[in-house]
Parts: sequence; C-alpha cells; structure tokens
Amino acid sequence: MEPLTTDMILVMCMIGLAVFLFVVEWVRVDVVAILMMVILPLLHLVTPKEAFVGMSSNAVISIIAVIIIGAGLDRTGIINRLVKPVMAIAGKSASRVIIAISLTVAIISSFMQNIGAAALFLPAIQRISKMQKIPLSRLLMPVGFSAILGGTITLVGCSPLILLNDLLAPFHLEPFGLFDVTPIGLALVASGIACFILFGRLMLPQGDHGEGSHEDQGSDPDLAFSDLGEMYELVTPEDFTHYRDPITVLDLRKRYLCNVLAMTEPPDFKTLSPAPETVLHSGIELVVHGKKEDLSRMAAAEGMQIKDTLETYKFDLDSSKSGIVEAVVAPRSNLIGKTLPEVNFQDRFRVSPMSIYRQEETYRSRMRDIRFQAGDVIRLFGSWKRLKTLQQEGGLLFSIPTEMEYMRPEKAIWAGIWLVTALVMIMGFKIQLSVSLMTGALGMIITRVLSVDEAYQSVDWRTIFLLAGLIPLGIATEKTGAAAWIAHSVLNLIGTVSPIVLLSVIGVLSTLFTLVISNVGATVLLVPLVVNMALAAHADPRMAALVVGLATSNSFVLPTHQVNALYMGPGRYRTFDFLKAGSLVSIVFLVVMIAMIALIYGV
Amino acid sequence: MSIITISRGSYSMGVIVAEQVAQRLGYSIISRDLLLDASDRFHIPEIRLIRAIHDAPSILERFSHSKQAYLAYIRAALAERASGGNVVYHGLAGHILLKNIEGVLKVRITADMNYRAAREAEREGISVDEARSILEKDDQQRRRWTKSLHGVDPWDSSLYDLAIRIDHFKVDDAVEFICRAVESERFRETKKSLQMINDLALACKVKAEIVDEFPTLGVTCQYGNIIVYTKDKSHGSKLHKHLEAVRGKFSGIYNLEIHSAAVFPPEAV
Repeated sequence: MEPLTTDMILVMCMIGLAVFLFVVEWVRVDVVAILMMVILPLLHLVTPKEAFVGMSSNAVISIIAVIIIGAGLDRTGIINRLVKPVMAIAGKSASRVIIAISLTVAIISSFMQNIGAAALFLPAIQRISKMQKIPLSRLLMPVGFSAILGGTITLVGCSPLILLNDLLAPFHLEPFGLFDVTPIGLALVASGIACFILFGRLMLPQGDHGEGSHEDQGSDPDLAFSDLGEMYELVTPEDFTHYRDPITVLDLRKRYLCNVLAMTEPPDFKTLSPAPETVLHSGIELVVHGKKEDLSRMAAAEGMQIKDTLETYKFDLDSSKSGIVEAVVAPRSNLIGKTLPEVNFQDRFRVSPMSIYRQEETYRSRMRDIRFQAGDVIRLFGSWKRLKTLQQEGGLLFSIPTEMEYMRPEKAIWAGIWLVTALVMIMGFKIQLSVSLMTGALGMIITRVLSVDEAYQSVDWRTIFLLAGLIPLGIATEKTGAAAWIAHSVLNLIGTVSPIVLLSVIGVLSTLFTLVISNVGATVLLVPLVVNMALAAHADPRMAALVVGLATSNSFVLPTHQVNALYMGPGRYRTFDFLKAGSLVSIVFLVVMIAMIALIYGV
Repeated sequence: MSIITISRGSYSMGVIVAEQVAQRLGYSIISRDLLLDASDRFHIPEIRLIRAIHDAPSILERFSHSKQAYLAYIRAALAERASGGNVVYHGLAGHILLKNIEGVLKVRITADMNYRAAREAEREGISVDEARSILEKDDQQRRRWTKSLHGVDPWDSSLYDLAIRIDHFKVDDAVEFICRAVESERFRETKKSLQMINDLALACKVKAEIVDEFPTLGVTCQYGNIIVYTKDKSHGSKLHKHLEAVRGKFSGIYNLEIHSAAVFPPEAV
C-alpha cells in the first residue's frame, strides 16, 4: 500500500468538504460541483483540462440528449396516449391499476430522467385516481418508486449508470452495454411493485392524512375538497358600503380566510375568480369558499346573509364549467422561489388560489407571502378554460376533467422514429451512446418535434453541472492514489471477505451515501474506491462499479430523491411514510440486486 | 383610544413629562409596573427582566436565548395593557415593542449631555464628570441593546414621530406638544389600529407561551389568524401539540398555522 501523500490528504479534504456541503445545503449541489471544478486545478490535484473534462464527457452529452428526447416525447402528448390503453388492460382493480401504471412509468423512466417521467405522469395519475376512485396516496408512492427503479433498466435510465462507463475508462475496464443492466433492472422493478401489491396495507398510510383529497370523489366536486370548507352563496346588505372603508376580496381572505370565488359587480355583471383588489358593493351576491365557522363569523361581522344553496350562481359554478384542482409545482417551474404577487398570478390567469400544502402543513393565511418550492400543492379554483391556460403555461402539474390534452400525432411518429433510430445506432451499429442519443435529439429538433430553444430550455443545467463538476473529483481521487489508499485501508479493516459479501457491503454503502449526498456524488466518489477495493480483493471490479451504479438509485427511505419530494405533497405523505415503505423496498432492492448480479454474472 | 410611548435617555425629565401627559389626557401610565406584571405572570424574577430590557445580551445569552424569552414576556404584558388604549408608556424600547402598530405616537425626550450630567450630579451628589461617565455608559448600554436585538439605532430620529429637547423647552411645553400631537388624525383610534394592537397582544401571548421550549420561532397574528414561523424545515409533532394546547388557552384564535423554513416578516414577534 502506498504511503499517504499530501495530495491524497488534500483530495480527502476536498471529498470531506463536498460531502459536508451536500449535507448542510448551505449552497446548492451544483454550486458545490462548480467549486470542485475550480479548487481542484488550483490545488494542482488535476490539470485545468481535466478539471473541465466533465463538460465534454460522454455522460454529460448523453444526459443532455436524454433530457431533450424526453422533452420531445412530452411535446407529443405520447404519455397521455398511453394512459387509455394501459387503463383498458388494467380494468377496475386497484392492484392491476397500480401494476399497470407502475410498469408503464418504469419503462418510460428507463429512457428519460426519472423526475421527468414522474412529473409527466402526475396529472395522468391524478386523473386515474379520480376516475377509478382509488386514493391518490395508494397510487403515487408505488409509481414514484417505480420511476426511480425504472432508471435501472437501461444504461441511460439514470445519471449514475450513464456515468458508469466514463468512470470505468481510466481503469481500462470493458464498458457496459445499453441493455446489460436490463435483467437486473426489470427484476428490481418487479420486486418493488410486488412489495406494494403484497404489503401495500402495511406500507402505505391509512387514514385521513394519507388519503389525499380524492377519497370520496364521485362526480361531486364539492365532496372532494371538503376538508377546507364548502361553497356558500351570500348577499351583502343594502347599506354594506355606508360609513365604512371599502372592503375588498383580499380583505375577506385576510380576515376570515374565506375565498371569494365569484361575485356580482353592479348592476349584474358576474365575475368568476375576482381580483384581490375588487371592492364589494352593497346588495350583491357572492360565492365564498371557506370553513363554516369562518363563514358564519364573516357573515355576522359584515352583516351578510348566507343562502341555503347556490341560487344566482348555480349554473355558472356547475362542475362542467369550473371547479377546484390541486396543482403541483413542477421541479423546474418558474414559480419556484417566487410569490403569487411576484408572478402576477391572479392577473395573468384569473383563478383563485385557496390554499397551499407543503410537507404536511396546509397554509391558508398569508399565502401571498409564501415562496414556492418544488412539490408544493396549490389548491386552485377557476373555470376549466382558465385552468387550461394555466396548465399550458407550464410549471404546474394537474389534471382537469375535460379531456383537452394537446395531442400532436404527427410529432409522435417522428419522436418514435428518432428514438428507435438512436436505439438501433446503439445496439445495431455499436455507436457510442452519446453520439447515438444526440443524433436522436438532433433528429427531434430538425423534424420540429420541439424547437431548438425548447430543447435548450428543457435541459436541467443543475444536473449537468453537478455531473461535470464532480467528475474531476473522481479523477483526482484516482490520480493521486487516494482511492487506492482508502480502498486498501478499508480492506485491511474488514479483512478477507467473499465477493458476494464485498458487493453487499458496497451496496449498503452506496445506499447510505446516496441518501446524504446526491446519487451522482455518491457514484463519482465511490466508483474509483470500490474498483480499487475489488482489484485488491481479487473480485470483479466491473461488478463492484455496477453495484454502485445501481445502488445509488436505492433512495427510498427519505424523501430526498427528486421524485419522492415531488410526490410527497399531492400524496399527503409524511416523512415517516417514506421511512416505513422505503425501508422494506430498500432491503428488497439490495437483496434482489446482489442475487441478480450473482445469477447473471456469476460472481 | 391612543397609545403614546415616551423614550428617554437617563435623567432627561422623561418620567415627569410622561406623568403630566397622562394626567392631562386622563390616560393610564405604564412603566416599571409592567415588569412587575410580567414577572408575576411568567414567574421570572424582576431583576432578570430589568436586565433583559436594559443590558445588551452577553455571548452566553445569545446562545441560550433567555433574553428573547424575557422580552417576549414583557412585550406580552405591554401589548395586553396597551390593547385597552389610552395609555402612556414610558420606559425602554416602547417604540420598538409596539412597532408596526398604526396610531402609536412615538416620542423621544432628550437633552444635551451637559444638562443631563448636571442634573444627575446634583441628584446623586457626585461630580459632573462622574455623572457624565455614568450617563455615557448607560446610553451606550441601551444603544447596544437596541441595536443587537432589533437592528436599529435608538438615536435614529426617524424611529420617532416627535423628538423634544427638554433642555430647550420647559416640561409644560413638552406636555403641550405631545397632547396636541396625539389629537391629529394620524394618531386617532381606528378599527384597524384597534385590531392591530389586539393582534399584537395575541401574538405576544402565544410567543410567551412557546418561547421557553422554542426560542427561535416568530409569531404573527392577523385578525386572529396566527402563524408561527420556524427557521428549520421540519419542527416535529412536539410544536404542534404545544400549539394546540396554547390555542385552547386563549380566545380569539381563529386559525393557527406553522410556516417552516420561512423568512420571518418584519412584524413577527
């Protein structure tokens, strides 16, 4: 074993720093990666060329291409096209629906970013939940986990696997093929789904807090969202505006947490979702949504009269024209970090935000001060027409009852052609993954499945910089001999173990690392280490690296994975729910993974 | 209903002015007894509350958050007393403890250091230099307190509606200025100002109840809708249970929410 050198110590310090910054989240993960790109050459641990080699690595180019291809598929509405036939096969049984949707998402996720597939399917799942009267909480977690597991089906399914061949290159080890991991991935998906089918009752939340708001859907929209109140029609007295300051829609919201969904402006002009600054006049009707006790208090304080049923607005607020939806803030929405007034939300879309749900809390007060995060659930009322406009704007994921999904069948054909082309290039002609995928992406742009600007916008630069920035850290770890030193030290500690035990230990380590630092970070740091360990222990280094590439997707125990964070809100899950379900799935994952590797590769 | 706060440097006749204003307007006066009130209610020795409202926090106190707790108690007591209106409060930091409330007339009584030192020397039977030294130390202490806890310089005149040099005017003049100022429309009671002080009282009461166990939280109240702000992303069920108990204790709370990992609004107590 080589003696410890200054460079090794420096590299280990850099690794420690990166891990620390990932955990404390003082800066975003991609900023940590850029920090590495800059510090490592300054410390002469890598050359300047090596520091930025990540930006042109096959992994990064492949990911860019995969993202563009995914965005192209999204444009075609192909996801929604899949829902009908899948549901036709699944029928009414909840278990079959879970299996069908989970499998579909897993397969889509094998060619797309996991979070992209999860976000694409969310509105469809919300719709299925309503149609089949299955609680959303029963569907979302299995589907979310399947989206993550689906990333292990192909070598482009998730960032760690895309990275794998680039990380193996310095060791001159044979790269993996696109479908080399498929049998393992399919087994993982099957076992994950099986867990939910067999043990769903134990794993998934039962009772109010887990049921989401779609438990008793039926066709009555009022029932669906009754946890935060109901709709009432009121009348203001004839002397409402006498001897008082004007009262606006926003005032009623602030004081009584009641939302004015519709009101009449004199003489008889009906408005749906009036603007917050709209003044209430005397002798007008208004429809307000809120808790009965708040409404009664408001009526008593302001002298309003509550009617028994909707009268004036009975037809205007019919469920065929308007209703309430739960919209989830998408991972790269323009809303993130902003408040409703800052994006001029109500002026632009003329829908009424009613509440925000985030991490087990419902916010009704001071919603205008809340800065949105990915995964927040905004409950909105509006006409279906206006909600459709909002949906097309992007950034919010929700379904609306009327099937007005925008389909581009001609685009779907081209998208399919280019996807197949890329696959043929990879499998048939053995062309480099990055070249093949970028060909597919270029093809989609040229045939106008999506424009080049849409392609650029779809690329998640956070992921790109995270990858590109951590690759030099992996290079430094290997180049300085730090990886070998750590590997030997660990082996000295654990002693001689069988290859299966070694792979299992690597699997557990990868699972733990990925929970605290990103899956990419875990992969970049662990692959050089485990390859060295395997070489020193006379085990197969490729298998050790493969275990890392797969096990860094084993992120179910905490809602830290983007997919879990996205589904947490709409599914009304608590962290404990992920702990419960995720623990079982994680253990099954490790067992199935090691078993399949042993079976297929004869370890 | 009006609320007048009179801030004063040491020995600047502020107490006399406050008492005469209260007498002339028929208002009640709040000062040192407020601390007694808070001390009784929250079972904290008065001396600790005095230090809390006078001395800048030591390093230890910054970590232990004890000063935050004591201030919460004092503020709760003050807000409740002031919610009835027609009060004159003279003491430390009234303009800060009742900040963001519309219609509060904030007055500062000040005087030249020589004037104050001469009065202090006469009163205590010490030399003028000694008196000056004491006053300077006292002023610096109060200034540091205000800056460290509230980020504002108490000598910044923009914090006040009226600043009076008591060495240039007589006490009667100062009383006259204040009584006339309070009559202007801006300082008249309105439904809104009444609501604000009631909201502040409720927010302070909630804060006082939870500050021992959760010293870093912020509380706002708007029309009886309480929001508790936390800096952490998750706060656990302990806070929920505590708040449910608090909710049952006070009337007038119509809604209670916890906003996690949020920026505290400026009016949060």
